[in-house]
Amino acid sequence: MTDETERPARRNPLQDVAALAQGLRTTLAEVMRPVVTTQYPEEKSPRAERYRGRHYLRRYDNGLERCIGCELCAAACPVGCILVIAAENTEDHRVSPGERYAKVYEINMLRCIFCGYCEEACPVQAIVLGPEYELSDVSRERFIYTKDMLLEPNPAQQEPIVVR
Amino acid sequence: MPEPNGAVPTVTLTIDGHQVTVPRGTLIVEAAKRVRIEIPVFCYHHKMDPVGACRMCLVEISPGPPRPQTACTTPVAEGMVVRTNSPMAVSARADILEYELANHPLDCPVCDKGGECPLQDYTFRHGYPTSRINAPRRHFLKPIPLSERIALDRERCVLCYRCTRYYDEITWDQELTADHRGADSYITSQFGQPLRSIFSGNIIDLCPVGALTSRVWRFEARPWDMAYTGSVCSRCAVGCNVTLWERRNQLVRVTSRQNDEIDEGWICDRGRFEYTEVNRPDRIRVPQVEGREATWDEAMEALLDGIQGAGHRLGISIRRDVTNEELFCLWRLLQGPCRGARVALEGRTSLPAPGEDTLLIRDLDCARAIVVVASDTADDVPIVNLRIKKAVSKLGARLLIVHPDRLDLDRWPEAEHIRNRPGEAAAAVRELAGHPLLQEGPVAILWGDGRGSEDTRELAAAVAELATRVGGRSMPLYRATNERGALAAGLISGVPDDLEGCEAVICYGPPAPGRIPASARFVAVWDLLLRPEHGSPDVVLPALGFAETQGSYTNLEGRVQFLHPVLHPEPPLREGWEVLCELGQRLKVREMDFVGIFQLQRAAARAIPQFAALASPPEPEPQPTPVLYGPARP
Ligand code: SF4
Ligand code: SF4
Ligand code: SF4
Ligand code: SF4
Ligand code: FES
Repeated sequence: MTDETERPARRNPLQDVAALAQGLRTTLAEVMRPVVTTQYPEEKSPRAERYRGRHYLRRYDNGLERCIGCELCAAACPVGCILVIAAENTEDHRVSPGERYAKVYEINMLRCIFCGYCEEACPVQAIVLGPEYELSDVSRERFIYTKDMLLEPNPAQQEPIVVR
Repeated sequence: MPEPNGAVPTVTLTIDGHQVTVPRGTLIVEAAKRVRIEIPVFCYHHKMDPVGACRMCLVEISPGPPRPQTACTTPVAEGMVVRTNSPMAVSARADILEYELANHPLDCPVCDKGGECPLQDYTFRHGYPTSRINAPRRHFLKPIPLSERIALDRERCVLCYRCTRYYDEITWDQELTADHRGADSYITSQFGQPLRSIFSGNIIDLCPVGALTSRVWRFEARPWDMAYTGSVCSRCAVGCNVTLWERRNQLVRVTSRQNDEIDEGWICDRGRFEYTEVNRPDRIRVPQVEGREATWDEAMEALLDGIQGAGHRLGISIRRDVTNEELFCLWRLLQGPCRGARVALEGRTSLPAPGEDTLLIRDLDCARAIVVVASDTADDVPIVNLRIKKAVSKLGARLLIVHPDRLDLDRWPEAEHIRNRPGEAAAAVRELAGHPLLQEGPVAILWGDGRGSEDTRELAAAVAELATRVGGRSMPLYRATNERGALAAGLISGVPDDLEGCEAVICYGPPAPGRIPASARFVAVWDLLLRPEHGSPDVVLPALGFAETQGSYTNLEGRVQFLHPVLHPEPPLREGWEVLCELGQRLKVREMDFVGIFQLQRAAARAIPQFAALASPPEPEPQPTPVLYGPARP
């Protein structure tokens, strides 16, 4: 440990020039190397295949909803941000195969921690976490994602996904 | 059998290393409960005779044959050693569960029993972790509506026969049966007819799987979504104990809560299914004056203006499930400014106030003879009717009926039915004293008002006379939920209600008796809903339902039972007693400025002797925690 009051040893000026050259060499070498920066938001980096972002509710190929309103996702969710209210399918109003469907399905995206437990719990692979991660918005209410926002477009009808 | 000195002989046995001493004749499943060891059961139910149909309760018993035996049919014996966790017992239970699941559809995600299903729980605790079965399962059309209120899913049924045995043993209605044989058996209603019994809902609670589910609360909620409280049924004077279940401040279902003093774990379909009013979207939530929404202040002023000077031309009609606390407030008002007003209670009998020493419901269990006079008990007091059936069919009481018509109880083959002419029950009762069936006591006499056809004062005298002569006790069968409380407060008496001629009417609940009198020039309605019978009232006040109000009821045997609300009413909804107290204060009644219901209850306990129990409301019962124990899975 040097004494603070001790003056540094006098150095050779050539040493300063060498340090300058070294720095410039590093800079020039970096200029030659390939660019790794992504120009977000103009450019987007690729998502891993199993990235956990915004949720989707899936459908079967015939357009019926997969979700059967079982509430297992809501039970598994560690922060309790899913609300499911189930109802019964009838002959004239068939939403999903079987007896039961979700009349109300809401996720509070402000609370969600994107753990993917809901996806894990779902017995019919209805709820999945997709690659979309740009979820900022301007009011708290708009973070309550309702069923029509979460549902995949119906392949039979090709409605657009509602993106607010 | 008790020994001559009255003591019941006991037996000591060992279950999984725990010594337990129980009365002789106890079944092993019951003895195991004493030491908190779980023996899983499907067909066994503690209120019904054991049949040994499902083999879920297998244990190893020594001394005995070296094979698993059913704990639900084997009575204890001295020195018996029961092992629920021996390798033989553990694998026997796991094998049985594998059989149960061989045909089970495993549609737990859409099943209303999911989350509170013994089959799920036992499979986790006692079953094999994985399934070896990939054979095709048997399929049925489903769900099959058994009635407007109950759905049957035959694929889920484990054929425990609890439902059919309940219909045979407990209600005698025999509306369900098993068709076909062996593995092809399935449950069906007799001749495919819809269930009509008023006791049908209990099979939903009894079914250990989701084969029988309610259509009224179908898919409303999961067990883990709901909060619940133990409360009291508001539909009749029996006062069965119920559990109220809430989700998102809606009452989603009502289930039974066993109280052996009253209901033994059964409730009738009125109590179970008639709760939906409180959830109605068109419910009255804001006071109204002449059809316009108003504040409580304006509504109270309008009400006071309307009844001012009415004197004895004021009529007050009260709903059947008025609480003791509200009755006390009304009593104060009728002592003071409303003196002389006439009172009517919805749906009541015209029975007079009870005598001194009336029978309790549990006393029916020790009766040797039961006399039912002028009442169709299945309709008037449904759960007392089940208690009579139990006393007669399981405990050997003799049954004597005095009624003009054929009744539900007549299905007992040895019942003696004396058919009186309507209105002459008293005369028929006077002739009973020497009847051979009544020679051995204790005798229980249950009597009603014949739906208004009998002169109740004369019948009361005849019943009292019979009770003294045969050494029995009697129970008047009131119908309105808190009729006995209203009699105790002196608001009503043994003559039928009549508000005809009243000029101002306050109608709390549906109008009694039947309609608002034509003479009324001012009508204030205080109810959950505006009903057609209410006409077009001048003032409308919002009322609370039984699942959201504090208070208590007095049941037909005089027992005071407290309500524990599960819903939280939002302003401007107010408690009934608060509204009555405010009315009292505006009418300058002294001592109606209670700061809380406890103060009011203490005042009521001092003022009315039958309300003495109000001074000590019980702590809400701690919610039972499920116990997870028992042997490990193999
Ligand atoms: S990802 Fe996790 S936190 Fe988000 S809704 Fe699903 S379970 Fe809940
Ligand atoms: S998303 Fe899946 S787990 Fe959630 S309610 Fe629907 S079916 Fe059940
Ligand atoms: S329907 Fe339920 S109660 Fe009836 S036999 Fe089947 S499993 Fe048992
Ligand atoms: S018998 Fe009466 S108190 Fe009991 S559940 Fe039925 S209506 Fe309610
Ligand atoms: S519970 Fe013992 S055989 Fe069913």
